Amino acid sequence: MHALNVDYMLSLTPILLSYLPLTLGMASLGMVLALVLASLLAVIRVSRVVILDPLARLFISFFRGTPLLVQLFLFYYGLPQFLSFLVSINGVTATIMGLTLHFSAYMAESIRAAIVGIDRSQSEAALSIGMTHAQMMRRIILPQATRVATPTLMNYFIDMIKATSLAFTLGVTELMGATQKEAASSFLYFEAFLVAAIIYWIVVELLSQLQKWLEKRLNRAYQR
Amino acid sequence: MKTSRLIARMLGLASLGLALTMTALAAQAETIRVGMSGNYYPFTFVDHDQLQGFEIDVMNAIGEQLGDDVEFVTASFSGLAGMLDSGRIDTIANQITITPERQQKYAFSEPYVYDGAQVVVRKGNDAIHGVEDLKGKTVAVNLGSNYESLLRELPYADQIDIRTYESNIEQDVALGRADAFVMDRVSASQVIKDKPLPLALAGQPFSRIENAYPFRDDDAGRALRDRVNEALDTLRDNGTLSEISQQWFGTDITQPPQNDSSAG
Repeated sequence: MHALNVDYMLSLTPILLSYLPLTLGMASLGMVLALVLASLLAVIRVSRVVILDPLARLFISFFRGTPLLVQLFLFYYGLPQFLSFLVSINGVTATIMGLTLHFSAYMAESIRAAIVGIDRSQSEAALSIGMTHAQMMRRIILPQATRVATPTLMNYFIDMIKATSLAFTLGVTELMGATQKEAASSFLYFEAFLVAAIIYWIVVELLSQLQKWLEKRLNRAYQR
Repeated sequence: MKTSRLIARMLGLASLGLALTMTALAAQAETIRVGMSGNYYPFTFVDHDQLQGFEIDVMNAIGEQLGDDVEFVTASFSGLAGMLDSGRIDTIANQITITPERQQKYAFSEPYVYDGAQVVVRKGNDAIHGVEDLKGKTVAVNLGSNYESLLRELPYADQIDIRTYESNIEQDVALGRADAFVMDRVSASQVIKDKPLPLALAGQPFSRIENAYPFRDDDAGRALRDRVNEALDTLRDNGTLSEISQQWFGTDITQPPQNDSSAG
C-alpha cells in the first residue's frame, strides 16, 4: 500500500533506544529480587518448613494463577483505595514489585524442580558426613540445582523484559509505551512497531549469548 | 546557663525559619497533575518524543491563568481513571465526555469542547452511511470510551458486533478487519485529513457530546474544579480557547452550538 518509510524508522530509533535503559533496568532489578524470593520459596517448599510451606504454596498459587496485569491493577489502583499510604509508591517501583512477585512464583517452581531433581544419594551423603540441612543445601544441592535451572530462569528473564510493556498502564512510558504513542501520532504502525521489535530482538539475542556462556561455565565441573 | 540561652535562641531562629519556609511554600504555585493517553491525535500525541496537541495547549493556558505549574502524565487510557481515583493525578485531559454515570462519580468542570460522535469507514465503503447502517457490522471503539456506551444504548445494539480496543482502531478499519469505528467528529476529520490511512466519514455525527475535565468528588477536587472553571471562563472570553482550537482544527470547537437543530 505504501512503501516502507525508512527515514521515519531511522529517526525513531534513537528515541526508542533512549527508553531501553528503563525497560532493562526494571526487568533486571525485578529478576534479581525475583531470584532471591524464588530461591527462598523453593527451599521452603522442598524442606517443608512448618507454617511457611502452606503460605508459600498459597503465594505461588495466587501469583501464578492470576494475570500480571490484574495483579498490577489490584496493587497500583485498587489497594490505595483502602491503604492510602500506598499512593506514594510510583509506577516504576510498582512495576518492579509486580514483576518480582509474579515471576518469583513461576521461578520458585522451576528451582524446586531442579532441587528435587538432584539425586537423593547426594543429600544422604552430605548428611552422613555431618552437614546440617542448611549446609547441605548451600554447598551440595543449590550449586547443582543452579546449573539445571539456568536455562529456564533465563527464559523467565526474557519473558520479564517483554512483560515490562505493561508498565504503560501504570503511567510509566517505557519502550513499548513510547512506541505506541509514536505510532498513534504518525499512523505508521508497521514502521514504529518494527523498530521496537528489532530492538527487543537484538537485546534478547545478546542475552542468549550470555546464557550460552553461562551454561558453559556452569558445565566446567562436568567436562573431562 | 549560657549554653541553654544559646540553644533557646537557636530554636527560636529555627522555628522562625520553618515558619517562613512554610509561608513561602503555601504561596508557591500549586502543581496540577494532568493525566492523558498521549495517543489521541491531535488532542494529545507524541511526535519524536514531543508531547503536544490541543489538550496540552489548553491545559498550559489554564495553568498560566491560575499561576500554577502543570505536570503531564501519560498512561494508557484504561489506566487513567484508576490514577485519578487513587490520587496520582488531579484530572484527565483526554476529551472525556460528560455522561450521567461519570457525573455520579466525578466533579466535572464546565465543557471546553463541543463535538459529535462520528461513524468512520474505510474509503470506498458504500454500505454504511451512518449509525443506522451499523446493524450486522463489526464496529471498533476504544475500551472504556463513551462511544462504546453510545453504541450499546442503540435499540439495535445486539445486532452490532462491538469490538473494544486499547488503541489503533483507525488501523483496523483501514485494514478492513472492522467495518467502522466510532470516534468524535473533530479528531476523525483531522486524522482523515492529515494521515495516510484510507478512511472516510460516514454520514453526519449522531450524538452531541460535551467534553470536560473530571476531578475527584471531594473538597480538594471540587475546589480545583472551581478554579479551573474560572480560568476557562476567562480564556473563553478573551478568545484564547478559540485561538487554540483554530490552530489545531481550523474551526472553533470550544463554543456551544448556537442552532439547536439536533444532529440526530
